[in-house]
Amino acid sequence: MGEQAQLPLQKRPSRRATLTVTQLVRTVRETLELTLDEFWVTGEVSNARGAPSGHLYFTLKDERSAVNCVMFSSAYRRLRFKLADGMEVIVRGRVNVYEARGAMQFYAEEMEPRGLGALQLAFEQLKQRLEADGLFDPSRKRPLPFLPRTIGIVTALRAAAIRDILTVILARFPKLHLIIRPARVQGPGAAADIAEAIEDLNRDRRAEVIIVGRGGGSLEDLWAFNEEIVARAIYRSAIPIVSAVGHEIDYTIADFVADVRAPTPTAAAQIVVPSMRELSRRLEETEATLEGAIAGVIGGYRKEVGHVGARLRYPLGLIRDARQRADEAGAALTAALLAGAAASRRRVRELGLRLRGPVAAIREGRLSLSRIAIHLRQAATVPARRFGPDLERASARLEAAGRRAVEIRRARFAALATRLDSISPLKVLERGYAVVTTVRDGRAIVDAATVAPGDELQIRLKRGRLRATVNSREP
Amino acid sequence: MEKSSKKFEEELQDLEAIVTRIDSGELSLEESIGAFERGVALVRSLNQKLDEVEKKVEVLMRDAQGELKTVPYEPAPATDESGAEDDELP
Repeated sequence: MGEQAQLPLQKRPSRRATLTVTQLVRTVRETLELTLDEFWVTGEVSNARGAPSGHLYFTLKDERSAVNCVMFSSAYRRLRFKLADGMEVIVRGRVNVYEARGAMQFYAEEMEPRGLGALQLAFEQLKQRLEADGLFDPSRKRPLPFLPRTIGIVTALRAAAIRDILTVILARFPKLHLIIRPARVQGPGAAADIAEAIEDLNRDRRAEVIIVGRGGGSLEDLWAFNEEIVARAIYRSAIPIVSAVGHEIDYTIADFVADVRAPTPTAAAQIVVPSMRELSRRLEETEATLEGAIAGVIGGYRKEVGHVGARLRYPLGLIRDARQRADEAGAALTAALLAGAAASRRRVRELGLRLRGPVAAIREGRLSLSRIAIHLRQAATVPARRFGPDLERASARLEAAGRRAVEIRRARFAALATRLDSISPLKVLERGYAVVTTVRDGRAIVDAATVAPGDELQIRLKRGRLRATVNSREP
Repeated sequence: MEKSSKKFEEELQDLEAIVTRIDSGELSLEESIGAFERGVALVRSLNQKLDEVEKKVEVLMRDAQGELKTVPYEPAPATDESGAEDDELP
């Protein structure tokens, strides 16, 4: 301050003049105002306190000196970080005198933390505070809907970001309902506007997920997304929110609060909307897997049925065998019956032949009778008168005897015919008898000696057949 | 809207569960075929759902009374990445 500290000669008070306090203080003040320009002063903050008026009072000090400082509310409102005692700051302002107390004060216009920039510090401070309030709690992060049908978008209407988002979303899934709630994304009021937009989409209630974001920019450009009002609006939103601010490397407070952080607006669109092509493919694949699965199941069962069927073939064979044997036995039975019938027929013929005996005898009798009669007539010609009546009587008796013999033979034949009918095998079966044949060759069994224990027999009843095994045998 | 989208995801999960169950071989043939038929119905329903929504882009804004209203979106020429001219917007 060397040269500037030299007061102009005309301003030097006369040694002999007596000044009032007010004059003294004013003189000092005016001198300072005239001679001292703005400074950047660095020091440590102590005794910082806000006044009800909105002004901020603090003391700036170093190892040897201290100076009272005031930051009027108009400047204090622009301060983005929270001032705390012990903080090293750089302050821009002017030095002046507070006339009421004659005290030198530093009037701060702007303040930056040392080391970090003000925004950086503000960011860290808000982040810590919101984290402590649970706004970043991973457990409150909601899953995004798998296939949202209605998507809310909060961004500037005229920026590239909205174009990118729309392009990507509609390319991925052409049929969607998008509701854009335009918001200023930088400059004064941007944070409030973004918060309001989030609230409006919640009031509207149609969106199932909201993308909040903007394209890249400087830290100052992105600042609205570091404001507490935006963080709180995201936290309050009933609809899940995807933040999409700036570029990959930019992290904002909004990113920490949001349910999902997308590195860019384009990425947000990809995160929020599934690709219809991929979904269709996944569906097709699942459908193919489904068909493969059922084909596998059916194939498996078919194989099993095949195994069971192979096992079923054995009884089928048995049945076939049995049927064949039944056929054979039937044929044997028929043959036996036929044989029996033939024998019976033969017998009937024989009987018939034998029956012919008496007839022939009668005929012969008649023949001999007629011969006798001739002899008798020849004989009678001579003693006819003598023997005539006797001969007549003998002849009549003879005729009667022959007739009687025929009657008797006829009656016997009828009886035989009846008996023959009763011994037909079918009649026999009707009466509870059975035909027993061997299973082996269908032979009718008439002699116990022709079978051995263990032989299989078939028993033909009037209705149906039985199969039996010989247990034992008695001659 | 919310409901139908949840249904899509659920149906897709159901479908995949059905495939897994059929694949597991734990089901009888009748159950497998029943599950398969349900699966086919799900595939059909899911495919329908993919085509369900009409494309619509709207802008949500407040009218003079502060009531929300939606108007169709008409793409405006973009200014710059920052959206710096957004002050003009309502």
